[in-house]
Amino acid sequence: MERVSPHQFMTLGAGVLMGGTFLLLASGVTIASGRDGWMTVLPGFTVGIPYALMVFSLLEQYPRKNLLQISEILFGKWIGKIIGLVYILTTGYYGGLLLALLGDIFERSIMPLTPLWVFYLGGLVLAIYLAGSGIEVFARFSEVVFPVVVIALILSVALAIPRIEQGELLPILDEGLKPLFRGVLKVMPFAMEYILFLAGISTFLPTGKQELGQLRTEVWRAIFLVGILNMLVVLIQILVFGPEETIRLANGILVLGKMVEVSRTVSGVESLFMGVWLGAMVIKMSAFLFMVSWGIETVFSLKGLKWNFVVGVVFLGIALGFTRGPYMLRELSVTESYLMFPFASLWIPLLWGVARWKKGAGV
Amino acid sequence: MKSIRPPKIGLVLTLIACSLLLTGCWGKREVEQLAPLIGLGFDLGQKPGSYLITEQFVRAKQGKEGVEVQDRTFTIEASSAREAYEMISKISSRIPFMGSLRVIVIGEDVAKAGINDMLDFAQRFSEFRRTMYLVIAKGKAQSILNLKLRNGLLPAMFIKNNLETGDTISTFPLVHLGHYLTTLDTKITAPIIPVIESIKPGEEGVEYKADGKDGAEIQLQGAAVFRGDHLADFLTDEETKGYMWLENNVVQRALNTAGSGESKVNFSGQVLNSTTKYKVSDQDGIVGLQYQIKASIAVDEVMGLKEQLSETGWVDLMSEAEKSFAKVIEKECQVSIQKERELGLDFLGIGRHIEEENPRYWKTIKDHWEDQIVNFPVSVNIELTIHHSGMSSGSPTTN
Repeated sequence: MERVSPHQFMTLGAGVLMGGTFLLLASGVTIASGRDGWMTVLPGFTVGIPYALMVFSLLEQYPRKNLLQISEILFGKWIGKIIGLVYILTTGYYGGLLLALLGDIFERSIMPLTPLWVFYLGGLVLAIYLAGSGIEVFARFSEVVFPVVVIALILSVALAIPRIEQGELLPILDEGLKPLFRGVLKVMPFAMEYILFLAGISTFLPTGKQELGQLRTEVWRAIFLVGILNMLVVLIQILVFGPEETIRLANGILVLGKMVEVSRTVSGVESLFMGVWLGAMVIKMSAFLFMVSWGIETVFSLKGLKWNFVVGVVFLGIALGFTRGPYMLRELSVTESYLMFPFASLWIPLLWGVARWKKGAGV
Repeated sequence: MKSIRPPKIGLVLTLIACSLLLTGCWGKREVEQLAPLIGLGFDLGQKPGSYLITEQFVRAKQGKEGVEVQDRTFTIEASSAREAYEMISKISSRIPFMGSLRVIVIGEDVAKAGINDMLDFAQRFSEFRRTMYLVIAKGKAQSILNLKLRNGLLPAMFIKNNLETGDTISTFPLVHLGHYLTTLDTKITAPIIPVIESIKPGEEGVEYKADGKDGAEIQLQGAAVFRGDHLADFLTDEETKGYMWLENNVVQRALNTAGSGESKVNFSGQVLNSTTKYKVSDQDGIVGLQYQIKASIAVDEVMGLKEQLSETGWVDLMSEAEKSFAKVIEKECQVSIQKERELGLDFLGIGRHIEEENPRYWKTIKDHWEDQIVNFPVSVNIELTIHHSGMSSGSPTTN
């Protein structure tokens, strides 16, 4: 049985949580909370912490089982299977949309004439290869790629500092705290995606008392790292573009990359950054491929590389069905907010509550 | 013989397919095939809804004295920038490349009609960068970009170079496309864009030999103020200089006190550094804005001094110079504030300053802000320090 170490769990989890959030978050939270949108990012991500702790509590009670298997134990076979089916459909649909997003970003920003299927195929080949190689290889891939993503993000933010427009952050909290709640709601679905990943990966996590303590620490670390990085990304966009432009710009972080100039010798580094963003997107998409595979294995007892190919074909079909960029972005947002968010935010506490109750009642 | 497992065959086949199918980038363009665009001009066309779009390309060619830059400038009447691109592609042997564009020159007529439609392509198409500069042409953008300059530079290159070195005189603002869009979005501050104009011999106090062969001269001076995206008025050189002080945009400046006061001695100097801060004050319910300008100056010229001064006398003279320089700066600021009041347009961003520092008060006045600009109290306090008076403590005119 494959095992993921606490450090690998941190980088893998952070990579999945990060995904392409830095490309999409700024616009969403600024629509919701105006120029204070940056304040909502970290709180939105930290919502994932209590959910992660619930997952670990379940893992402690039911070692070596994922939450779909635990659902079957606690809710009965058929309800468990229905939950598993929802899990498969939701993560499968979202995975396909992520593939479509990958193509859209590249086509929109630096390679407008390259056919979309090239990006789709490239992303899928990597994701299927990782899924076929197992969770340990995927974790090691994240250990290599995620630090590069972090460095590229920090560089993007730091090099954009000379472009800051005076006073764009002021006045702070002009509209009070209410808009901040709307912003937090925009971020929470991303945390819930991470929780759905935890629900599946829990089979591969160590269950010793000391190791579980380490895992809890790593969850805090991953969520705060990603939360702070994303907060900085949103903050710099509001500072450079102002709130209205931040809302309007599609993939503002790429526009920032285009504005980078160091002593008039280094400029236009957005293409370099795009290579790194590809890594981040592949981690997230691969995670969703894994999630669908775990779901299929649990619900239908189907396992093996050929099923990964089948899932890959489904992803490709979904992506090819969403070649219209604005339509795809709307669908992505709807899936995050109205499918994954409610599903994860209800399922996990309910499962945890029933497990606690059964444990307390000695059932 | 050991057989290859199916997953490995699949992987090998995938890799072969990738190497066969993914052999290069789609839309790959070699540098030699490209015509780099460096300047873009917009004027109104003769047909309704059309524009005169002037595109200035450079073509590098190996000459006798190294690489020579050739001018390839086209003007197309089209209804959109994309249409102009198509028409230029038909007559050009190279592919127009937009990523190198550094300057957009907007003609006066387009500026009056509204510039956002024309700038949409520049802010949307991914090849462009938000760091490109905007300038308004007095007259037609086409005329500016078609000039043959006496220094041999292409007009777009000249404008770019002058804008980038503009902080050595700080007399006009440097406006990127991104800055314009961000300012426009505040809906409070009126955007401002520097003005470029051609100068004939004798105009603006500039004389030069013009026999038709040597070419022309152009200069960046003043600025254009917008109401939304429509040109509202031009600022004079002095009004623009005042704007530069109040916007904390002065890096280095040449200052001259001649004609500014009653002093018989006049001074010229260079501003070494300057900082402008502002504060929204509230005294007995009367809200106002106070600017505080701090600048350091080196005196470079003393004119009209007829006697040798003692050390104490020199100290007094420099103190007098500080007051004279302060008067000059204050006058520049006041004419700028006066212009803002006359136009009823907040190009100084006073409304945004109030919003930043006193948002509660701002909410009470924001709906009538343009009416309130006229009477809104604004004061300027100047604190000058003369660091030194150059390499001499006396003047050759001393008796």
